[in-house]
Amino acid sequence: MGAQPVVQNDHEQGVSFLLGTEKVHVLILKLDEMVQRNAILDALLSLSTLKFAYQLVYLAAPRLFGTSVDASIFRTRGIGLLFYDERRIDEAVPAQTQTEQSPGPPQQSNTTLVTELATLRTMYLEMERAISQLRKDLTTLRIPQPIQDHQPRIAMPTLEIQSQSNFPTNVVHGGGLPSYFVNNPWLDVLSKRGSGEREPIAG
Amino acid sequence: MDFGTSDFKFGPITLGEQPRIINNRGYFPDKKSVLYRAFETASDVVVGDDVPLYLQSAEDLSSRLIYPMRNGMIERNDDQAWRVVQSLTSYGLEAFKPRPNNGFQGYYVVASLSSISPRYMYERLMAAFMESSHGMVRAVTVISQPFAVAIGHGVTTCVVIESGHGNSQVCPISKYPIRTAQVALNRGGGDANAITSEILKDAGYADLANEEAFVRKVKENLGLVPENLNDAIQEAKRSPRLVRGRYKVPGTRVEIDLDKDSWSRFLIGEYVFNPNHEIFESYFNRGMPKPRDVKMGDTVFKGMLDFGEAIVASVERCPVELQPLLYKEILLSGGNFSWTAPPKLQGIAVDAPCKVKMLLRDRGIRNVSVKMTRTPQSSVWHGCIIYGFAVPENYEWDWQRLEGWMKVPN
Repeated sequence: MGAQPVVQNDHEQGVSFLLGTEKVHVLILKLDEMVQRNAILDALLSLSTLKFAYQLVYLAAPRLFGTSVDASIFRTRGIGLLFYDERRIDEAVPAQTQTEQSPGPPQQSNTTLVTELATLRTMYLEMERAISQLRKDLTTLRIPQPIQDHQPRIAMPTLEIQSQSNFPTNVVHGGGLPSYFVNNPWLDVLSKRGSGEREPIAG
Repeated sequence: MDFGTSDFKFGPITLGEQPRIINNRGYFPDKKSVLYRAFETASDVVVGDDVPLYLQSAEDLSSRLIYPMRNGMIERNDDQAWRVVQSLTSYGLEAFKPRPNNGFQGYYVVASLSSISPRYMYERLMAAFMESSHGMVRAVTVISQPFAVAIGHGVTTCVVIESGHGNSQVCPISKYPIRTAQVALNRGGGDANAITSEILKDAGYADLANEEAFVRKVKENLGLVPENLNDAIQEAKRSPRLVRGRYKVPGTRVEIDLDKDSWSRFLIGEYVFNPNHEIFESYFNRGMPKPRDVKMGDTVFKGMLDFGEAIVASVERCPVELQPLLYKEILLSGGNFSWTAPPKLQGIAVDAPCKVKMLLRDRGIRNVSVKMTRTPQSSVWHGCIIYGFAVPENYEWDWQRLEGWMKVPN
């Protein structure tokens, strides 16, 4: 159960792991890369080629990227999209395997490849426009401190409850009982439950 | 363990004055998501402090984030809600798991439910403990929240009035809960939100009037309980500056200024205690839901009964010799009674105990004492701790009495 690490080739950037029988690759786009023209295109082209080596591929991008991208493009290409910030990761577009995406013949013809390239070119042009807009937006924003660790927190804490090995006893007043016990007549009333006291008045 | 409408409070006696508190909710993650599959998780339901880590889009919330006891009750066949309750009981027990091999034989667990809970809720909750025990539970019992409040407050003969988001209950106690005398009202904090929303629309804030969290904040900050509604409105119109209602949401530029409509602040508080004033008819006529009588489980909830009438109806179902003793100790519990009276509005605005006293006085009941519970957040849990400490272990569970210990086979 859970993700298992996978040995990946040296030239592959990002993180790879095994989920059940599916190999997953996540390419992580950092905040400062978003404004670089070719980084996004490189990422997408890289993921497209990796789709033959991995069942599921994802692009993990800073949440800011979400405002400028049309997620349907990723859906069409079967590439998953994750958004991250300092607090959480969201799966905006689930990745699809090759068979889910196109149940046709496994080998792509040259025509299909050309079509894919054309689509990527369109995506690139749209992102160019988006990046220009982002540059304008960023100049009006206060630039946050660079994130020291750009790796999104994939390793989340497990849900196993951290058990306390013994009771915290220091909060009980001077080792005695809490204040709501002091002079409480219910202690006497309740201690006599079942000892032959008369039945309740009603109910 | 106190299963409140919003919070789940739990913990052993060694915690002292305050229980551990988490939200009474559970999240059902999307198992198809790669994020879910990548992480090891032992259950299908996430509860506790980890829930925010799993929340995805806002569209997810209504279907995946479940608050099982929003109105104090769970439907018999609401499997999702019961799974959340099961997970919460496991969470609560695991959080205080002692070291192995130290002679621990299991906790005596006292759980608390709303006083309107039907029998099947007791059955299912006990079944949940049986299933979650794994040696951690020696015996379990369930008591009603008003009963626990009376125990925590140290008063053996009293009337406890519990008022939460969806409904309110009037429960006389005399060493035992007097169940046949209980009166339930189909009115709570949610209704105060509804009238606040209408007031915001009238004051020109219609765009904000549909945001529940915002409306609740306005209610809490601007709502007032009048000593007498007619007098309060008259005074407010005569001296608008005295009553002027302004509220700025912290961290935003959003500001509410009721200005000449500030007299309507008194409607918010009055509506909680007594929705029968003729001024509310115009709001009902234009579509604000009128609290109506409903049957939920075994209980009929009255919609339009004011609190004074409800208390009198409840007490008069008890033996005559007990009635004066009950009026002498009326305890108010629950967030819907958290009203403050600004000092500058003395004589015009009052707090909840004062308002209840006045409603009873209008019905000829004078020698009364009305108090708020000292620790509203933890009084139920205090009562559970005392009950578990004091009741003998040989007092066995009885389905007629709805009290006693149900032993858990381990």
